Amino acid sequence: MDANIPLFQMNGVAKSYGGVRALEEAHLRVEAGRIHAVLGENGAGKSTLIKIMSGVVQADAGDMALDGAKILFPSPKAANAAGIACIFQELSLIPDLSVADNIAIANPPRRFGLIDRRAQRRFAEEALARAGAEDIHPLAPVKDLPLSRRQMVEIAKALARMPRILILDEATSALTAGDVAKVFAVLKRLRDEGLALLYISHRMQEIDELADDCSVFRNGRHVASYLAGSKSRNDVVELMIGREYSHVFPPKPNAAKQGAPALEVAGLCWSHQLNDISFAARPGEIVGLGGLDGQGQRELLLALFGVLRGVSGDIAVNGVVRRARGPRAAKASSSAMALIPEDRKTEGLMLPMSVRDNLTLPALDSLARFGIIDRSREQDAVDTMVKLLAIKAANLDIPVGALSGGNQQKVVIAKWLMIAPRIILLNDPTRGIDVGTKQEIYQLLRKLADDGATILFYSTDYDELIGCCDRVLVMYDGAITRELVGAEITEHALVSSAFRIQEPGEIQLG
Amino acid sequence: MTMTLSSFFARVDKPVLAAFGCIIVLLLVGSLYSSSFLSPEYLLQQLQVASFLGLIATGMMLVVLLGQIDLSVPWVVTVGGMMSTAAAGWGPLGEALAIPFGITCGMFMGLISGFGVAYLRVPSMIFTLGMNAVAQGLMVLRTGGFAPQDHSTDTMHFLATGRSILNIPNALFVWIAVGAATIFLLGRTTFGRTVYAIGNKERAAYLSGLPTQRVIMLAFMASGGLSAFAGVLLAGYSTKAYQSMGDPYLLPAVAAVVLGGTNILGGRGSYIGTIAGVILITLLQSILSVMQIDEAGRQLIYGAVIIGMLLIYGRQKKVS
Repeated sequence: MDANIPLFQMNGVAKSYGGVRALEEAHLRVEAGRIHAVLGENGAGKSTLIKIMSGVVQADAGDMALDGAKILFPSPKAANAAGIACIFQELSLIPDLSVADNIAIANPPRRFGLIDRRAQRRFAEEALARAGAEDIHPLAPVKDLPLSRRQMVEIAKALARMPRILILDEATSALTAGDVAKVFAVLKRLRDEGLALLYISHRMQEIDELADDCSVFRNGRHVASYLAGSKSRNDVVELMIGREYSHVFPPKPNAAKQGAPALEVAGLCWSHQLNDISFAARPGEIVGLGGLDGQGQRELLLALFGVLRGVSGDIAVNGVVRRARGPRAAKASSSAMALIPEDRKTEGLMLPMSVRDNLTLPALDSLARFGIIDRSREQDAVDTMVKLLAIKAANLDIPVGALSGGNQQKVVIAKWLMIAPRIILLNDPTRGIDVGTKQEIYQLLRKLADDGATILFYSTDYDELIGCCDRVLVMYDGAITRELVGAEITEHALVSSAFRIQEPGEIQLG
Repeated sequence: MTMTLSSFFARVDKPVLAAFGCIIVLLLVGSLYSSSFLSPEYLLQQLQVASFLGLIATGMMLVVLLGQIDLSVPWVVTVGGMMSTAAAGWGPLGEALAIPFGITCGMFMGLISGFGVAYLRVPSMIFTLGMNAVAQGLMVLRTGGFAPQDHSTDTMHFLATGRSILNIPNALFVWIAVGAATIFLLGRTTFGRTVYAIGNKERAAYLSGLPTQRVIMLAFMASGGLSAFAGVLLAGYSTKAYQSMGDPYLLPAVAAVVLGGTNILGGRGSYIGTIAGVILITLLQSILSVMQIDEAGRQLIYGAVIIGMLLIYGRQKKVS
């Protein structure tokens, strides 16, 4: 192949959505056999860029070339045919179909016009093997797989189309550390096979480990491209956010918190997924939940919030044992508990509803008299929250779905701060949002804790647990297996306890 | 409240404007046929007829906003009519309580539907269809073999057909009162906000600590009550209640709600749109009957027009 002609090139591409410029003057040069990382905050135009590349949307201006020849992608199908496969941030699998059905969904092998199940199964097995996920049974229904396994299926599905360029948009954000390592091995092998990979991630260490080339985008513009490793992490972050980037995490208080615990849990069990969980958390503490994904952390938060049925064991708030009967009871002033859910799009927000209406939902009762909403009090409360969290919205009557991911997450947090919670449960609140917003959220959490809130913080990102938490409870198989306090919280300790490495014979990956 | 014209148009959805546009087109088409289509008398009469559908569509809209549907309309309307006329036969006290009794019976039917949907988690399409059959059975049982009192009271007749102020039909006042209450309910109360929240994402509404089950049950109860109220008025309008008097109201009610821009999957819609939808459907029915097209032809055109309009709306949504 001629060294001067890249596999794929994009020149001066622009795209706007209803007057808002999502992308202008975008340039990109993708070479075969290399991993190209695209960096930028949310709203920097990365998603638009790959949507144009994969034919989901069409550019307003500019041109694209494959092997030096100009091309247009009027539809995702055209991009697929040209050898571009994309794995989006949101999963595209159909939960009720089997793994094999999903992998072969675009073009299943057919005999006499009917789907040839045996051929389809072989096809799926090959694709799974190529994705390094041989352990997934091709006939298992997708809905029975945990999120991280689904992501592997998604990768297999993309690989089954035999792409020349594979785009991964935040493809590892749902993965456990063990899976990430596996995916990386697969990606490196694919690179050596001559595929071009376009990799988008918010996790810097992943990019350090994986990328050969990097391109940085900011506010819809291409800012810089450079060879991986030629810039320091700090330089890169500054390129992305365009300002000095210091103290990602706010300082932790030195002394351990004293006083009566606000939240005490004793012998909590739920089916087979929570086994005899006991711990206590004091006001002012940020307690992290660590461990591999899917070890019961979500269920623990849901159980505390009263969403799960058939939970046994005691949950005491401020020393009083109470049985939470659903979110409505949990948020009542006697326990003042808030849950920031995992998936803001389905559990946290009503996307078509306005920012204002979303913000006041949990606190509606306190803003109304006899069921009639007091508009001026509502306005005051909304204004306070928008200011406190610096939510950026053109106005408060636009649908919350029109905001950037980071701002949406701020709305989810803000709507719960409306009830002035004393116990805040967070389920991976920073997933898929930009560095700047993450930093603001960390500072907010510390401020809330300093003001006397008790915070239980589950994160799949070890850096966050290390940087934010006073203590970390590491969970494994529905039980708390280790507690790390203060300086003990290191990446090494988190990873080894997550995999239970200190107890040989019980090591289990994934 | 001060509101400029442009901000008014910005607030009103496109489907609502389209529905009002269609109303004007229908009137113009009708006036080509006969000039009496633009006379105040004809318009008032149409609004009177529209009021019955308006009450049913109001309840239907609440339920559709939740992302559910109420298919028990036909026989709950009949329950309203039959139970109020039945009460009228129980002497003076029964006569006085005829209207509230009819409405209460409908609310009770709605309450059961609501309980089934909200607490037993049965899909509303099935549960309300079942309730419709149950209501039918109860009414047939009551009227089978003997002739109970089926004449409406004077008050019912007065509400449905009378014109006391400025020659405006009383039924229209009833609809205006119910409509104003609904606009207030949807726009200014926690109940209304919760209805929209549930329709958009019930899971997120539940996790926000909203009383989702209670609100769903109350909405179905309101729908049952309003259907029965329409039945009461219909009995007053024709001076008696009869079996299957509610049959012609299910499709128009759903169509009016959806033509008015309420998302059939819930979460979006304004009451102004429902008003437009109700008037539109009523005019369409009236014009088709005035044109003396035979019954089969009328049904054909009626159905085709509704499907056609919905197709247009569906396209609009995709483009914007």
